[in-house]
Order: sequence, then structure tokens, then C-alpha cells
Amino acid sequence: MPEKLKTNTPVEETEKVTPLQFLKKHVYDITSYMGLVLVAVLFVIFNSGPRFMFNLSSVIQTASVYAVIALGAVFVYSMGFMDVSIGQQVGVYVILMILIGNKVGGVPGVIVGFLAVLALALICGAINGAVAVWLGLPSIVTSLFLMFFFTGAQVLLMEGTGKNSIELEQAVRPEGRNEYSLMLIAIVIVLALIAAYFFKYTKLGKYTRAIGANETTAAQSGVNTIKWRVIAYMALGVCVALGSFVLLTRTGTAGKGSGSGYAMDVMICLILGGMPLSGGMKSKISAALVGPFTYVLLSNDLTTMGVDLNWINFVKALIFIAIVLLTCRKKDGVLPR
Amino acid sequence: MKNVKRIFAIVLALSLVLALAACGGNNGPKKAKIGVGLYSDAGPAPDSTKAYLASLTEKLNVEFVYTTLTQTDEAANISKVQELIAANCDGIIITMDMGMEAILKECQEAGVYCAGYLCDFDTSYNNNYDNVFKNPYFLGTVADGGCGNELKRGYDFWDSLMEYNEAHPDDPVTHVSFTTFPAWAFPYQQEYVNQFIEKCDEYNKTAATPIVYDPFDESTDVLMFSPVDSTYFSKHADIDAVMCICAGEFVYGTMVSAGVDKTIKLFAAGYTEGDNANFGSRGNGTYQLELVCAPESITYPLVLLLNKINGVEFKDMPAEAERRSCTSFIINSDADMELFEKSIYLTNDPANALLTPDDVYNLTAFGNENATYAGLVEILNHMNIEDLAK
Repeated sequence: MPEKLKTNTPVEETEKVTPLQFLKKHVYDITSYMGLVLVAVLFVIFNSGPRFMFNLSSVIQTASVYAVIALGAVFVYSMGFMDVSIGQQVGVYVILMILIGNKVGGVPGVIVGFLAVLALALICGAINGAVAVWLGLPSIVTSLFLMFFFTGAQVLLMEGTGKNSIELEQAVRPEGRNEYSLMLIAIVIVLALIAAYFFKYTKLGKYTRAIGANETTAAQSGVNTIKWRVIAYMALGVCVALGSFVLLTRTGTAGKGSGSGYAMDVMICLILGGMPLSGGMKSKISAALVGPFTYVLLSNDLTTMGVDLNWINFVKALIFIAIVLLTCRKKDGVLPR
Repeated sequence: MKNVKRIFAIVLALSLVLALAACGGNNGPKKAKIGVGLYSDAGPAPDSTKAYLASLTEKLNVEFVYTTLTQTDEAANISKVQELIAANCDGIIITMDMGMEAILKECQEAGVYCAGYLCDFDTSYNNNYDNVFKNPYFLGTVADGGCGNELKRGYDFWDSLMEYNEAHPDDPVTHVSFTTFPAWAFPYQQEYVNQFIEKCDEYNKTAATPIVYDPFDESTDVLMFSPVDSTYFSKHADIDAVMCICAGEFVYGTMVSAGVDKTIKLFAAGYTEGDNANFGSRGNGTYQLELVCAPESITYPLVLLLNKINGVEFKDMPAEAERRSCTSFIINSDADMELFEKSIYLTNDPANALLTPDDVYNLTAFGNENATYAGLVEILNHMNIEDLAK
């Protein structure tokens, strides 16, 4: 009997992997981690002044909202789908939390407001996941419908108040900036651990990746793809509700434009973090942490390096295009997978 | 011993040079960086504001960096302010009242002062006064079109209509309608309409030819920051003029497409590039009034910020931040437009500004020990069309 067949060890594990093969296999991980390291080093270099801590906490404040939402979005993106209604959902949820919170009053008001928004987010997640399957539509169409629905709802809610901006009466963040940053870090870490557990060790993560790799194969292997699509979108809904709350702790107010741009920002964060847009088995939860911090640190670095503030988006777009080109599959020129 | 003496002499000489250099440094204002968050990154108002500020950089030893704020997204505004702070700004001028409490918390943490321009901060004034106007890091604001009990724009519209009718006795305006922006964004615009109506009612009591105004209709007359609907001119079928309390650009385009630009006059707030071609007797003669705030009014927040940055204060500086209104350029004749066309607003030439760098320097507490807050406020009353003629 050949030596290899005597053991239960998979064949590929016994083969020696050369550094070049390793690099090829992990090129996207390495690129995304190196990107984060690079922007972090630049941050330290260009923020050596007295505002280092201020800028660091600014980065944490901005990145935390993206990270919380991205941790839920990983489940949807790993199936190769996306949700373009995230930004409008965030806007409506923040407004609702303020309106309900002020109506009920005090801390109970904030809790009731959050629970109401959480319930709504779960319903929207279920609609997002299920309707597309039932009607045989691409999932983006359902999220487009939700986007328009929430855009209208946001305008109507704000017009109902008769104000340009509404404010939560109950304070929901620690007074000290450092304490607030620690609170945000704690939220992100706890949520990341929970999301990582579900993504790596439960059916939810395994099946969503399987759906992303090949939905037909997953279905033929016994996976109830409709059920897991709905659950994945509901997981995103939970994170959108949490992200809205984190945003509310940052601003304390909301307006007609709250949340605008978040859907695209989250997508950019995930791609920068090494998330394949087509989903599949190479999807990883770390993209939801690496991406947001890379994205926000990059903005901060460009600012402190003296790039004109009105040019920053343009420079970021160039860097984004460069990353996409570097990480796309050379053979057929599609986005990373 | 000789060497010790030499070293001692060199040290003394160096100390003297350093001391002299340090004394020389005290003569001018401290180097400062001011972040300016404008409401738009292009257009006559932002461009002329930038041109005016650029002319002050050398005399006031100040550098300006710009960003663009939003009118609806407070989180975006907070991020923009954080970016300005990250860019090492010592002071920030902002044009939006959105997320102000959180913005001022950021400023306070970073030790950066903040002041307003072209914004009455009405939401904060009425709903969050203690956290904004009493915040030691908010220094005050200057608003175009008046604020609080200084509102008079509705009367300006009425006066301009009267002037037009006096100048055109054969073809007077006798029937008008209104447009405004929504009250949630500009709460005073309805008040301006009421002011106009009040004057009109008073006039009609004795007038031989009364002026008719269409009742204000929220469904058609409130513009949601988009062009007026084409049905506006069928709903207001017999009007001679539109009193566009909001920006005229939102009405003019629809007037042209509806083919009424030659028959209906437009009395408007604000100026958009190219309006002058159709103003008064020029072009199709649609525009008969434009109300514009001088970019030089940014001097108010700038001086307050520079005083703080230089560690000096006016003796009569109020204990709490104030909001001050600036007189507007009321352009309602060909002669006014000719004057306006020579201003910095349209030429972007600082030589045409109402204030020179020396004037601004003398308004500061560090540049002129006799300078006062009252003097700074008084300057805001001298930014009208007559001052352009001087």
C-alpha cells in the first residue's frame, strides 16, 4: 500500500507549500492586511502632534459604525448578494429611535426605541431575503425597493417633525471622549466575536458561503437556501439596527440625510478588507474589521498629509480602483473572489 | 581661559540673536490655520468668499482650508469637522446648523474655536441654546437676511416691487405669487411672506390700483430644493411677478421652459451665475430683484476666531455668543447691477472688496488695541449696495 494512503491526512496538507504558492493563495488577505498596516503606520507618522489621541478617537468613532454594519453585511456578501438600502435604513432607524426615545423618555425610551427598530430591521431583513426568492428577482431589486421605501419614509418622518434636525433628549454616550472610544471598541469586539462564531462555526456561516460558491450545488446538497438567505439578511438587519444605535451615540441627532452613503461605504470597506464581491468560500469575517479601519484611516492620513479636503474622495477613489485592479482575477478580470 | 571667554561671548551673542528674533515674532499675529466649511464648493458666493479670504492670508498670518458641509446629514458634518481638526486647524467657520452640539464637543476636546457664517443657527438657538450659544468654544455667527427680531426681507421685497412700479408706470406689477423653501429648513421664509402681505394689505387700502397676491399654497409654493413644478404657472395663471423668497434659480428655469420668462417678472433672493444677463432691462428682463449677502461678512467670525487664537479679547465682548445679521446687497435696478458686477462677488478680485486686509487687521483686538466688538458689528451694517459705490 502506498505510504500516502496509510494515513487519514488529506493529500494537500502533506505537500510542501512554497512561499510563492503561499503568497499566491493568500494574496488578497496579505494585500488587505498590508493596506491596514500601511495606513496605520502613516497615521502614526503624520499624527505625532498633540492631536494624536483626538484623531485616533475620531477614527474609532467613524470606523465603529461601518464595522458594526459590515459584520452583518458579511453574511449577505458571502452569498454574493448585496443590500443597497442600508443607508436609508440607518437614516430611518436613527430618526425612529429619537422619536420613540423622546416620546417614552429617559433610558427606557432609548431601549424601547432600539427594540422597535430591531424588530423593524428583522422584518426588513426577512423581506429582503424572501421576496427576491419568491418573486424570482435578483436580491438587489428587493433592496432597491426597500431603498426607495425608506427614502420616502425618512423624508415623511422628518417633515412630520417640522424640523431640519431632531435631537435625542437622553444622553447615550459617556461624557469623556476616551471612555466613549472604549465603549465603541468594546461593542465592536463583542459583536465581532459573536459574528465570527456564527460565521465560522455554525450552519449560518457555512451555508451562506456555500450559497455564494454555488447556490445550485448548495441546494442539491440539502441546504434550504431560502431559509438561510432570509436568516442572513436578518443577521444584517440586526447589525444595521446596532450600527444605527452606534451612529446615534455619535451624533445625538438625525436629519433627512442621516445614513446617506452608508451602503456604498460598507461595500467599499468590505472590498478593502479583502471580501470577494461574488461571495463564496473565501469570504471572511475579518474583512468587516480590516476594511472599515483601513477606509477611515486612509481618510485621516490623506487629511493629515495635507491633501485638499475636497480632493480626498477623488484620491480615495483612485486608491480603491488600484486595489480592485490589483486583486481582481487576471484570467477573466472580475472582482476578487 | 581665552576659550572660555570666547565660548561665553558666542553664547551671549546667540542669546541676543534669539531674543531679538523672539521679540520680532511678537510683532505680528500668531500663525493660524482656519478651516472653512462652506455649503457648496463652487458658485459665486463660495468662490468670492475664498478670493476674499485669500487676500487676508499674508496680513493676518492665516492659512485657510476648505471643506463642504451638508444640510441634511449631521454625521457627515461631524466627520468634516473632525477632518478639519485633524488637518491642524486652530479655528473653524461653519455654514450649517446640523449636529452642532456634537460638533462643539469635538471642538472643545481639541481646543478649537468655532464660529458661523451665512447661517442663523436657528435650530440651535431655539432648541439647544445652552449647549451651543453658551458653549465657550462657539463664538457667534453672522447670518444673511436677518435673524431673530431683525427680520425684514419681506419688506425688502415689497419696497423693490414699489420701486419697480414707480419706474414702470405703464406696465406695473399688480398680481403676484410666492415661493419659499420648506419651513423645516428656513423657518423665517413664511414670515417674509407675511411681511410682504402685511405691507400689501396696507397699500391696497388707499391704492388706486391694488396689488393682488395669490394665497400661499403649500402644495405648489413650497420648493423642496428642486425646481418649481410646471403646474405652478397654470395654478397662478394671471400673475405678473413671482416673489421668490427662496433662490431664483429654482424658478427661472421653469419660467423659461413654460415660456413665461418674458411676461412674468422674478423678484428673488440669491444670485446664480449668469442672472445678470437677464436682469432689469437686459436680456429677457425677467429678474428685477436679487438679494445677496456680501462675502466680506465672513470678517465677523474670522476676527472673533483670530482674537481667540491670538489670546486677546475685545473689552466689550459679550459673555455669550451672538448671532448677527448682515445687510444685503439689494439689487433692483440696472445701476445696482452695474455696481454689483464690479464687486468681489462677481469679479473675485480682492481689490474690489469692501474691506482691505489693513481694515480687517484694524478690526482685530491684536491689530488695534482700540478695536471693539461694537465696531466689528457696525461693519456688518455697511455691506449694502450703496457701500459698493463708495
